[in-house]
Amino acid sequence: MATDNTDPTAEYRKNQSWLFDSKAGGYLRKTAIDLLTLVIAVFVLFPLYWMIVTAFKTTAEIQQIPPTLFPTEFSLEGFRLVLESSLESSGYDSFVESTFGVDISSAINIDILGMILNSLKVAIGAGVIAVVLGTGASYVLSRREFRGKNVLMSLLLASLMFPGTAIMVPEWELISTLGLFNTHLALILIYGAMTSPFVVWLMKGFFDDFPDSIVEASRIDQCSSFETFWYVIVPMARNSLIASFIFAFLLAWNELVFALTLLDNQNYTVPPGLLTFVQGFNTQWNVVAAASIIISIPVLIGLAYIQQYFVQGLTGGAIKG
Amino acid sequence: MSYVDQAQSSYESATSRIPESLRVYLPILPVMALVGLFILYPIAQAIYSSLFSKSLLSPEDAEFVGMANYAEIWSNPDIHQVLWNTFVWVTVGSVAAIILGFLMGWLLHEKLPYTSVASAIVLIPWVLPRVVGASIWRFMFNGSQGVINELLVTIGVTDSYVVMLGSSDLSLWPPIVGMIWRLAPLFALLTLTSLQGIDEHLFEAARMDGATPWERFRYITIPMMRYNLAIGFLLMLIYNIRNFSMVWVMTKGGPGVSSSTLPVMIYRSAFVDFQVGFASALSVLLFVVLLVFSYYYIKFYDKMRGGL
Repeated sequence: MATDNTDPTAEYRKNQSWLFDSKAGGYLRKTAIDLLTLVIAVFVLFPLYWMIVTAFKTTAEIQQIPPTLFPTEFSLEGFRLVLESSLESSGYDSFVESTFGVDISSAINIDILGMILNSLKVAIGAGVIAVVLGTGASYVLSRREFRGKNVLMSLLLASLMFPGTAIMVPEWELISTLGLFNTHLALILIYGAMTSPFVVWLMKGFFDDFPDSIVEASRIDQCSSFETFWYVIVPMARNSLIASFIFAFLLAWNELVFALTLLDNQNYTVPPGLLTFVQGFNTQWNVVAAASIIISIPVLIGLAYIQQYFVQGLTGGAIKG
Repeated sequence: MSYVDQAQSSYESATSRIPESLRVYLPILPVMALVGLFILYPIAQAIYSSLFSKSLLSPEDAEFVGMANYAEIWSNPDIHQVLWNTFVWVTVGSVAAIILGFLMGWLLHEKLPYTSVASAIVLIPWVLPRVVGASIWRFMFNGSQGVINELLVTIGVTDSYVVMLGSSDLSLWPPIVGMIWRLAPLFALLTLTSLQGIDEHLFEAARMDGATPWERFRYITIPMMRYNLAIGFLLMLIYNIRNFSMVWVMTKGGPGVSSSTLPVMIYRSAFVDFQVGFASALSVLLFVVLLVFSYYYIKFYDKMRGGL
């Protein structure tokens, strides 16, 4: 009897949603929902599982038909090939051979470590530009009233609407005119431009909520507005600043279109580099999977940190990605 | 004197000649310069270039052709195929991602324990580098060793492995599946947060008034979520129409143009066929569509902020 229930919310919770109303459909409905959960979970998780097990299979096992669900022989061959080929293409192979006495000869040609260094350079550069420029601008946009403020805000918002795919051709023309073709500086500037409006938006949200009383207190203590900004507000904004940096970093880390069109292959960052290898002749998938895991690690660490900002970012006029 | 003091005094001495009323613009200037040069100017440049016949290899030999590039969009059968593909992508991909994402968000909210951990795991497909996600799907759809082929054979859909990525009849679909996988988690997260945002007292009050579970869903959940759902819907449209990596990694838009969407065609026109003018005209077409979607996105966003 529902009325005998000592916890009045228990029954309410049970009936909160019609879809999961356990009384209405009984076991049939419950089974259907469990099945649905299972199907969705498999769809979401299986590709990730497949990437991980593929990375630990031997090259011979990769080519087996039908494919094996678990590696019959747990192997680090994929990771070893990534490392060896990176050492070889960056010219450190003879050094490592003489120092550690190992023989390096890889049949594949993909300099993942070199690409990771390029990507780090570009992503850190873009992140710093976006955070430094975006924070200053957002503080003024949040705290001061001036002519043209709304126009500037709309321009920044509008710039978020145009993805790389829509402007790759004119961007190529612009970068060639500036003489920046095949430089990492070009990507740093473009990614900085793509992410700083987003940082402005995110930080403006923070400054909008920042209590006036703290600013006033620092005024009374005779801080200049610059000192207030630097000594009082920036330390309190630490988390938002880190989140902004991570957003910018991840965009630069993942971006394919500009990296593909504005760089030559010896300067490739991770996305176009991996793409070239994936589309190459006779792709070795355990190497691809191993490389994929390596380049996904920064992203997963970043995700753990900024998860709470994710929805804010999505529903906040920031259609980035 | 600390670095900050130095920075401040040099900032003040450098800006002392600028009237106070203009000084407020100084911190905004670098961002505007960067965005103006690298985002807004290229948009104008694309519109301008679309009026020329121009080769990527010798851009200085541009020849003014007026609307000829747009006329070619109108008459080129390949482009018709591409536009149709894009339409299929955006409708099928968005609708599937929304249904799946809604169910995922709902399950996360109602059925699964450890919601925050589970939602972080669910988000992985969305945050994974795009090339990585697309590469996994390319491998899974592989015609000779692909696990999806094995699955299809096992459950009896096909007798032998099918080269889906290389078939002009089928190649449109594998990238759509990959894209649904990437986008559904995003919609799930939006659903989850808007479900969590609904005041539970509303349900309690409705239950006391004798509302059935379906009525509570229909008259409380859906209305409370409507702007979030609208925003999610537009995000799905926008992400689907601008997607490049999923198609390019998996099929390069081929064979022929059978799996090309608008962004892929822009890339191919400019960097494979070297027709900058024509590619720019296609870019302008993409702007226009994105502009319409974005207009509604901002509109719903404003409503959500004002309405709730």
